[in-house]
Amino acid sequence: MIELDHITKRFGGRLAVDDLTLQVPEGEIYGLLGHNGAGKSTAIGMMLGQVWPTGGEARICGYDVARHRRRALQKVGAIFESPVFYDFLSGLRNLEILSSYTGPATRARLQEVIAWVGLSGREHSKVRTYSHGMRARLALAQALLPNPELLILDEPSDGLDPEGIHEMRLTILRLHREMRLTILLSSHFLSEVEQLCTRIAVMKQGRLVFEGPLSATKEVESWIRLKVGDFGRAATELRQAGLITRDRDSKYVALNDGTGADQVVRLLVERGISVYEITPAEETLEDFYLRLMNGH
Amino acid sequence: MVINQGMLYQHVRNELWKLFGKKRTYIGFGAFLVAQNLMLLLFRFTRWEHQMETLLAGNGYLAQEYVSALTVALIMLMPQILLLMPLYASLIGGDLMAKEAEDGTLRMILSRPVSRFRLVFAKWITGVIFSICLVIVLGVTAVLFSRMWFPWKSLFAFVPNRVFGLFSAGEGLKLYVFYNLLLTINASVILGLAFMFSCFNMKPAAATILALSVLFVSLVLEGIPFFEHYQQYLLTYHMQTWHYIFAQPIPWGELGQSLCVLLAFCATTFLVGAAAFQTRDIKS
Repeated sequence: MIELDHITKRFGGRLAVDDLTLQVPEGEIYGLLGHNGAGKSTAIGMMLGQVWPTGGEARICGYDVARHRRRALQKVGAIFESPVFYDFLSGLRNLEILSSYTGPATRARLQEVIAWVGLSGREHSKVRTYSHGMRARLALAQALLPNPELLILDEPSDGLDPEGIHEMRLTILRLHREMRLTILLSSHFLSEVEQLCTRIAVMKQGRLVFEGPLSATKEVESWIRLKVGDFGRAATELRQAGLITRDRDSKYVALNDGTGADQVVRLLVERGISVYEITPAEETLEDFYLRLMNGH
Repeated sequence: MVINQGMLYQHVRNELWKLFGKKRTYIGFGAFLVAQNLMLLLFRFTRWEHQMETLLAGNGYLAQEYVSALTVALIMLMPQILLLMPLYASLIGGDLMAKEAEDGTLRMILSRPVSRFRLVFAKWITGVIFSICLVIVLGVTAVLFSRMWFPWKSLFAFVPNRVFGLFSAGEGLKLYVFYNLLLTINASVILGLAFMFSCFNMKPAAATILALSVLFVSLVLEGIPFFEHYQQYLLTYHMQTWHYIFAQPIPWGELGQSLCVLLAFCATTFLVGAAAFQTRDIKS
């Protein structure tokens, strides 16, 4: 659905996106992660033809966005962080204006989308009277009006309260389930990405540092959490015995291939080290992300 | 470049909704009305009216015949065209694109399958429509307000470098309407200039200030004796030739030349703005 082919963007002397190649397959909820300034928004800008690539090509639905903008973006909806509208106009008028850039929407279609996002009864109010949550719904409505097949969400939960974040998460799942949309989600909320996405890409300083299914982030190493009398000594003994490969945070050890937890306990008890707790530690996306960012 | 007229109509309508939906759009109209009434009061209740009667009587004309609604409307219009109209047209022109970029709504629009050229064209047409509305409202209210205080009689028009012209009420009204139509070109040129700057990556205020600076520099150069022979290269020189519509005989050649220069300037600023907007990156 989205193909970025060796895409590069340079702002003056600063390299914002460096030779980025990725593909968002149809039907996925795809997460795009990275620190502020990692190049996520620039990459999204290039996907939407708002930012001109210095090199490479961005294609949506098979069309080069820079050369065939109209065809490429015909079935795309987008929501940006902190959605902004023409505050002095009504929600309905905002939708009429924004949808007309794709093609005029009928009254019935407008009402259908307004009802879907739960804004019925407030569509004639000026947007300046809307809460942040209502603005987020209006942003969703404008993205859904052209009957999109692809939805690009750039920090959609930004500024929402916990209830709003939860609602947004359910909405994204509903969109994926009911409308079978392909969704590209750029988010700072790792738990949100973990709960929603099937595949992720991680960017760091403009470069892609990871791309793959979410499940792959949990299979990198087999860690166990160890609570013992003397962790330092325990780690040294285990490493010398060839049972573990690494340890971290004075808490976790990575088991060697074929090593079982029972062997670890037996060795530690034999060496006179008290064992209080031993549990498998599944790596969270946050752990994985931080490890990537810190270059471990 | 092919432009779908139906879509273009919709985009222009969108731009008009946006422009006239804002309260700040009407501030300028309010300022004009206040200025007009203030000038009217000054004319009526100071020595201004008396000085004009003396001037007319000194040239052998019947002052009562020419101190009329049309004459006063024209007197009120000239300083407003010189001072308020450029300020207000450049304010709106500077806002048209840069304000949307600043607010972030431009990013929303450009996530749609609309070409950048069409967007610029729709905004530019909206600017021209606004300029026409502005001048028409200005011209009509000037006549209406002055008619409340002065009779409907002949027109006395002061023409720079050409002494003055005197016309019957009917002929005067025709020339007054024609003069206002020509002024819409001035308003469009100023708005187009600010709009051009607004298409670059800059704040709305910067676009407005740059446009006003260009006009100011042109006006200053026009006043320097050294540039007397180069006046036809200055924008403000051509913007002032419309006064000659009240000269007898009307110098159509001069008016035609200025018209061509201003229309060409308008087209150039539009093309430069469109090219700048086409190549720039839109980021949050």
